[in-house]
Amino acid sequence: MSDHADDGLTGPSSLDRRDFLKWGAVAGGSVLAAGGVGAGLPLLKGPRLPWDIDDIGLPPSGPVPLTGGEWIPAPCWHNCGGQRCLLSAYVVEGRVLAVKSDDTHPDSPETPQMRACARGRAQQGQVFGPDRLRYPMKRRNWEPGGGRRELRGEDEWERISWDEALDLTAAELERIMAEHGNESVLELGSTLRRLFTALGGAVTNWGSTSWGTWYHTGPMIGLGDGLSSTSHNDRLDLENCELIVLWGGNPAWSAQGNSMYYYLQARRAGAKFLFIDPYYNDSAMTLADEWVPVRPGTDHALALGMAYALLDEDDPERNPLVDWDFLNRCTVGFDPDHMPEGADPADNVRDYILGRRDGVPKTPEWAARICGVSAPRIRRLARRIARTRRTALLTAWAPARTHDSDSWPQMFLTLGCMTGHIGQQGRMTGVSCWERTADGGPFLVGAGGTGVPPLRGVPRRTTARINNSELWSAILEGEYTAGDGDRRPIDLRAIVHDGASALNQVSGLMKGIEAHRRAEFVLTLNFVYNPNARFSDIVLPVTTQWERHSYFKGNRDHLIWARQVVEPQYEARDDAWIAAELGRRMGIDFADMLPVSPEQQTFNRLAGAWVVGPDGRGRERLVTITKDDIREMGVEGQPQEGRITLPEFREKGIYLVPRRPGDGLGHIAFESFRREPERHPLSTRSGRFELHCQRMAEFVRDVGFSRIDPIPVYRPPAEGYEETFDDFERGIKGPHPLQLITLHYRRRTHSVFDNVGWLRESFPQEFIMSSVDAEARDLATGDVVLIRSRHGSVLRPLFVTERMMPGVVALGEGAWADVDFRTGLDRGGATNVLNGARPTGQGHQGWNTCAVEVTRYRGPQRLPPDWRQPPRQPKGAV
Amino acid sequence: MTTALGFRIDASACIGCRTCVIACKSKNGLPPGRHFRRVVEYSGGGWIPDPEDPTLMAPSGIFAYCLSVSCMHCEEPACLRACPTGALRQRDDGVVVIESSRCAGCRYCEWACPYGALSYDPSSGRMAKCDLCIDLVDGGEEPWCVTACVTRALEVGPIHELRERYGSLDALAPLPPGERTRPRLVITPHPHGQLAGRGTGHSSNPERDLR
Ligand code: SF4
Repeated sequence: MSDHADDGLTGPSSLDRRDFLKWGAVAGGSVLAAGGVGAGLPLLKGPRLPWDIDDIGLPPSGPVPLTGGEWIPAPCWHNCGGQRCLLSAYVVEGRVLAVKSDDTHPDSPETPQMRACARGRAQQGQVFGPDRLRYPMKRRNWEPGGGRRELRGEDEWERISWDEALDLTAAELERIMAEHGNESVLELGSTLRRLFTALGGAVTNWGSTSWGTWYHTGPMIGLGDGLSSTSHNDRLDLENCELIVLWGGNPAWSAQGNSMYYYLQARRAGAKFLFIDPYYNDSAMTLADEWVPVRPGTDHALALGMAYALLDEDDPERNPLVDWDFLNRCTVGFDPDHMPEGADPADNVRDYILGRRDGVPKTPEWAARICGVSAPRIRRLARRIARTRRTALLTAWAPARTHDSDSWPQMFLTLGCMTGHIGQQGRMTGVSCWERTADGGPFLVGAGGTGVPPLRGVPRRTTARINNSELWSAILEGEYTAGDGDRRPIDLRAIVHDGASALNQVSGLMKGIEAHRRAEFVLTLNFVYNPNARFSDIVLPVTTQWERHSYFKGNRDHLIWARQVVEPQYEARDDAWIAAELGRRMGIDFADMLPVSPEQQTFNRLAGAWVVGPDGRGRERLVTITKDDIREMGVEGQPQEGRITLPEFREKGIYLVPRRPGDGLGHIAFESFRREPERHPLSTRSGRFELHCQRMAEFVRDVGFSRIDPIPVYRPPAEGYEETFDDFERGIKGPHPLQLITLHYRRRTHSVFDNVGWLRESFPQEFIMSSVDAEARDLATGDVVLIRSRHGSVLRPLFVTERMMPGVVALGEGAWADVDFRTGLDRGGATNVLNGARPTGQGHQGWNTCAVEVTRYRGPQRLPPDWRQPPRQPKGAV
Repeated sequence: MTTALGFRIDASACIGCRTCVIACKSKNGLPPGRHFRRVVEYSGGGWIPDPEDPTLMAPSGIFAYCLSVSCMHCEEPACLRACPTGALRQRDDGVVVIESSRCAGCRYCEWACPYGALSYDPSSGRMAKCDLCIDLVDGGEEPWCVTACVTRALEVGPIHELRERYGSLDALAPLPPGERTRPRLVITPHPHGQLAGRGTGHSSNPERDLR
């Protein structure tokens, strides 16, 4: 960015010698050692704390003096699934002493403070942590062309200057592209996307990750995907529910911030909560009146059993359970009389459920054997949901993050349509998870655009996109799936990790390591020494959001404007500056890369910020901006009138739309559609909810991994419950008898925060097992266990609990892999070591279907608690 | 001591998220391995052959809840009685504070306190503990754990007022019965809350190997 465009290296450190020696002492004298490695280079900048810091980048002890400084609204910028909370950092002379959260207005259930979670409050540990990447580095045994590639992940590092790093990187990318074409570079992040676009493109990856099959199936059948569009009512309407079903969700872990507070308001207003989940999770602990344990990947079978029970017991006169009026008016495909155009009437949902289509009635007894819920209980469950008038049928994405689950969202919708819990007060069906947990509907406030024009007119030299589950095999085997029956050769030579955490965060990590050791060149831009960086050749340190100009983010009824908190640490640079510098070396105009200054981008976002009109209609300008504001910011623009002045917004960092019941800002999803489906059709092909969806079947066929029916037919998933058996019919278990689910874990947001000491201590990355299975294996809490799947092996401390369903085990996703190369065992607890890359259906990740076995570990490795282990730092160059 | 302060914890709303713990660490500068506030998990129940289908297992009485605990600023503080140097003292508002310069680091108080509220600081060789954020409270603000709680399950205030409003329950398993030190604590129980000393479950912190 322009602030840093002047030079490649930071000038001599302003740190005085006392601080420098302290830092040296706590980091084991390593800074002094680094003086040798980076001989001739200026001293390091930072750390920015006025006292000795210990190995987590935080003060060792003693109350933090909150005097002489200022509170600055600080970004919490991660893909965390939280409600988007306000942080505030206490800064004294450019150093952060403490972090707190929202206290900008009185707290109330209607207009709550946007309170941060444990991770947000531990943000210091990331920005100032010991594994912060400090300066550009080169792998010792790398040379253009690859050098000793097999040493990636184990090699030592050398500190190099920014000029050398940029020169080497640009030259190697240019060489590879010249010799092998743009189609030989795989870009797995996005922060250099503008550069690659200017160069004619690179190969990118695709595939739904978090969403599971909601990403594509959801919108095709008429429901939202759960993030960009929602299908549930707003949070205040939840208080109108009598029953809230949470099917496969744990917002207390996966959607932190205020979301559990919103559900608690519904409970206080009288709603009962029913949880369907293999784990009696912390959300169930807090809210559940009833818990129905279900086996992973079998939710679809359970829902079919419930649908059968409804059809079986329904009597429109004496026992009305099925909302035929809703089905007839608002859906297609349920019965032969309501089929979409061109569909075979035999392909209807009702006859599939009853077994007339395939000879297998989907009775509760049929379902019980698969899902583990007894048939009588399935019937009671169906009745309870059908008979409770104001029911919210809510799910999270987890049950859809299973192999072969492309039809699960459609089955979930079928249940919602049969019971009619859609489009009315206290009635809704759909996804309630991640940022949109417990609060559906279009946003009431938002920021404007940055004003950065897209790069146009550069001819693309490659259009290849590789599914996440084929990334590593594409590199290793030189082939990928481009469509139905369409396998194409590909010759990938370079991997670019410009952001994201692909090596750790897509299935098939062990193959990923192999692929990284095959490439000629691996580049990482990051701020910590994460697994991407560890397996690279050149590592470029980037700034965190705390070191950047501005950050805008919000949710349905608030907008956060957080600011730069501290100067860039050490030699870190903004990604945009790196892209521009690389571009300059590759013949791209600097101005094309950085067309709008950060200050102007901030101004544009403020000037374009909007808020909904008082009665829920129209949009108004949010920010009042004066001529003085514009002059002070040094930008171009016009004064304007809004709801909050720019100085007030800057100081508070947040604007909230005040809410109260009946304020006209609530949201009932599909309300007008339900009333008049003809006048307010959905965006599906038929304009109705598609319980028969030809488009979905065609889409999955065209992707090229498998086939599905246009109606919700249950397919036993790859590595699902059925595959834990050698012989399912005769009940003979196989070598991987347990089902692993991978959870959003409170220590992290995906792989981010895994390095923070406070969080490592509070959340130990335990392996969770049912007391029944532990007893059968003679295992107890604290034992180190070896977890083996078909794809890899992991060591972890065991946590035994009665709260887990027998036959199911769980591990938090996102821990950084720490593979011991002699034994092949991962000590970090990285779930993608266990999850294999098995592309199915729409090419989503099937993380919750993985079969494993667990035994006591008897080998030589020791496994102290994570927080006692040394920080992950580059060998030879700290 | 009518103005004595105390905590109220709403165990029916606690999700065990540790935000209060991190806020406390941030305010008090506590590295990993040390804490003034903890979240205690308690769970129980088990699995039986499903009475409706013997091929399946069914949960039987499975429950869990969490309690966020720190120093209880007790009416009869055990730590104070155990301290041989008089470093611990109780303010007029009931807050138990430690005068670090008088602490000899013998750790008797740590042993005496049934709530594990005292924390030994190896760098100074002295004890430290929750002081209810008196610097904030004296200025009319609230402790950081209270303002951090995402489900608003923590509250601080004059204990007699809290007791009037929320009742007098001052213990739930796995905490010790209140008679021992008369904690200034009011608990709104979780629906599955079990009586202190008579619980059928067990402490179940996954991180308990730390202590
Ligand atoms: S929920 Fe997300 S935005 Fe909120 S504090 Fe936690 S990590 Fe930050």
